[in-house]
Amino acid sequence: MEESSGIQLTSAKGIGRRRRGGDQILKGLVASAAIAVVILLLALGAELIIHSSLSLITFGPSFLIGTTWDPVHQIFGALPFLFGTILTSILALLIGLPIGLGVAIFLAEKAKGRRMFGYTLGTLVELLAAVPSVIYGLWGLFFLSPILRTYVETPLHNYLGILPIFASAPFGLDFFTAGVILAIMIIPTVSAVSRDILNAVPNSQREAMYSLGGTHWEVIRKAVLPYARSGIFGATILGLGRAVGETMAVTMVIGNTPRITASLFSGGYTLAAVIANEFTEASYPLYTAALVEIGLILFGLALTINLLARLLIWRMTRNTRFRV
Amino acid sequence: MNFYRTGTSGTTIGLVVVLVVVVIAAGAYVALNPGGGVKTVTSVSTATSTATSTATSIATSVATSTATSIATSTIVSTATSSYLPAATVNGGGGTLVYPLMSSWVFAYTQLQPNIQVNYASIGSGAGIAQITAGTLNFGESDAPLKTSQYAALPSGSTLLTIPISDSAVVPAYNIPGIASTTHLKFTGNVLAEIFLGNITMWNDPALAALNPGVTLPANPITVIHRSDGSGTMYAFTNYLSDSNAKWSSQVGFGTSVNWPVGIGCKGNEGVAGCIANTQYSIGPLEIAYEITNSGAINYGSVQNHAGNFILANLTNINLAVKAGASAGLPAGNAPWTGFSIINNIYNDSTDTQVYPITTFTYALVYQSLSASYAGTSQSQAVGAVNFLWWVVNSGQNAGAKIGYPPLPSNVVALDDTTLSSITYNGTPVYTGS
Repeated sequence: MEESSGIQLTSAKGIGRRRRGGDQILKGLVASAAIAVVILLLALGAELIIHSSLSLITFGPSFLIGTTWDPVHQIFGALPFLFGTILTSILALLIGLPIGLGVAIFLAEKAKGRRMFGYTLGTLVELLAAVPSVIYGLWGLFFLSPILRTYVETPLHNYLGILPIFASAPFGLDFFTAGVILAIMIIPTVSAVSRDILNAVPNSQREAMYSLGGTHWEVIRKAVLPYARSGIFGATILGLGRAVGETMAVTMVIGNTPRITASLFSGGYTLAAVIANEFTEASYPLYTAALVEIGLILFGLALTINLLARLLIWRMTRNTRFRV
Repeated sequence: MNFYRTGTSGTTIGLVVVLVVVVIAAGAYVALNPGGGVKTVTSVSTATSTATSTATSIATSVATSTATSIATSTIVSTATSSYLPAATVNGGGGTLVYPLMSSWVFAYTQLQPNIQVNYASIGSGAGIAQITAGTLNFGESDAPLKTSQYAALPSGSTLLTIPISDSAVVPAYNIPGIASTTHLKFTGNVLAEIFLGNITMWNDPALAALNPGVTLPANPITVIHRSDGSGTMYAFTNYLSDSNAKWSSQVGFGTSVNWPVGIGCKGNEGVAGCIANTQYSIGPLEIAYEITNSGAINYGSVQNHAGNFILANLTNINLAVKAGASAGLPAGNAPWTGFSIINNIYNDSTDTQVYPITTFTYALVYQSLSASYAGTSQSQAVGAVNFLWWVVNSGQNAGAKIGYPPLPSNVVALDDTTLSSITYNGTPVYTGS
């Protein structure tokens, strides 16, 4: 980013003195916008630490590994919420990534000859992203959850109940339903970004593979997808970011039970959900501080995911010629 | 190759298709809504409560604008009547009372078009915090203040506690095969054992003994409770604590507790939805839901101390409040810490028809108002006190329609005394208009 802006400034200098003042103003404006975002991020982190200090001091690191959440007896532990957030996000990726990527491949590679069809389908998929999450929550609670319980969870439990992940009796409001709702919510993010990435793959890549006698599938698998690898990974991280922070829809379908269990059919809880549920009625300072510390953990989790993703993309692109 | 460059026709057709889908979806949603699905409190037919009982901010804004237009026409016709001076009164607190509060605000704006009451349904904890900080003209809470919360109030101030409405919590259940005309019987102890996870089957001997003649299914009980902190759960866990020593020591009571078993659903409507969707489930539900959605979800009767099994209705809830208040209400300017109708009637065997899980919700106002409390102006003080006066007197009838029993006369009398004691810069605010 800095390089390119430097180039623009240099070229502007050559054009004439008249425009230099404007460039300085522009530079100041965009730089202050960039700095403001950094300051905002730091201020957010600082604010979370300040307001959770009571809880940080009281519980120390045991807050992270505590499994009891008891506002009446003032015992607070965040592990079940952290577990729930990570588990539902992984479920969402497992279900949503293949579908989102499939949509992207279809739109970019298969629907090319049918422009109106491709355009309509693409718009509809992206419209999913515009649906407010509370609508997903209501739909999940009243429509999806009973259907999943009857037609997906009950058969899985009956036939594969010996596996720990399907062990508990299906209820419909559990990790699994939350994962499915989140998957639906991340599909538009994954597919829209991936489609743009796939469209940006140069045709020379495809033509080279075709000229070697590759089938359409081989072209996609061996030429297009490897080329777009880091971009698709970025799309995945965007989807994961949405899944980790999603509050309303998850709260309405996850069952809100702070529990650590292998069974996907058991009620769970997430970091964002407990804040949404309990903050309004948190009636004493330690309680509020504990909820803010949950927010701090969520903040840290989101930052960690993004940092790890940057690191991975950096490693991927360093060792390959393929870049998008 | 590049379908971004679709022609105008492609774009247009795409947009038209999208539009059609949206319209169909909206139509389907509207069509499905009254039948089942999301049950908002809309089954009341009178103009006042229909406009406000949907308990959404949209409804409130619609109601407010409607009220403004009505008010405008009223002003034209009766320009000489004694309206209060213009003021915006800010209140905020518990969510339990929110549907009723919306109804009150709408009705009061018609009577006093110059008074604009804003009620923020921010939760009881936030309501207490905001009145402590002096950012509201009145606060609202489903539980009385704790000692530590009284200690946090500005020094020299007196915060008044004014019961403005009441509610009850019923054990609602979904058991296929039990007729909606049959209401299962529960005791506090059995409810506590169910919610502790000790009674796990519907045909448990303890339940069977309470319900002779009812064929209880041999199915496991699915326990449902609120996930969000709420006055409803405060009342319910208060009752379970009174009824069962193990519940009292292991779980205790509060707006949020560490539920030993069960699934948490968000909001009263969420609990209703979870119960309706889950066979063999049981969950605590506000009586307002049962009154406004008659017959949608069956609920049981609860045994009071006199030994009678009481199926909650407006009458026996009203009796419970009256009995709970006769056992001694604190003065309005005294600390109400620990006051509970549930506790007061728990050992009361003289009032035989009271419903045991009954609770107050409170408005909180400072006794001595002045510009020093968050810049409360005289007109705001007048507006707030007159609004609350109207609420505890004439406003009580509005509550019955949407499931909030009217306050009994002994409570109203106490509230009137309390409200009369409020002063602005030393002068009494309420002048009996």
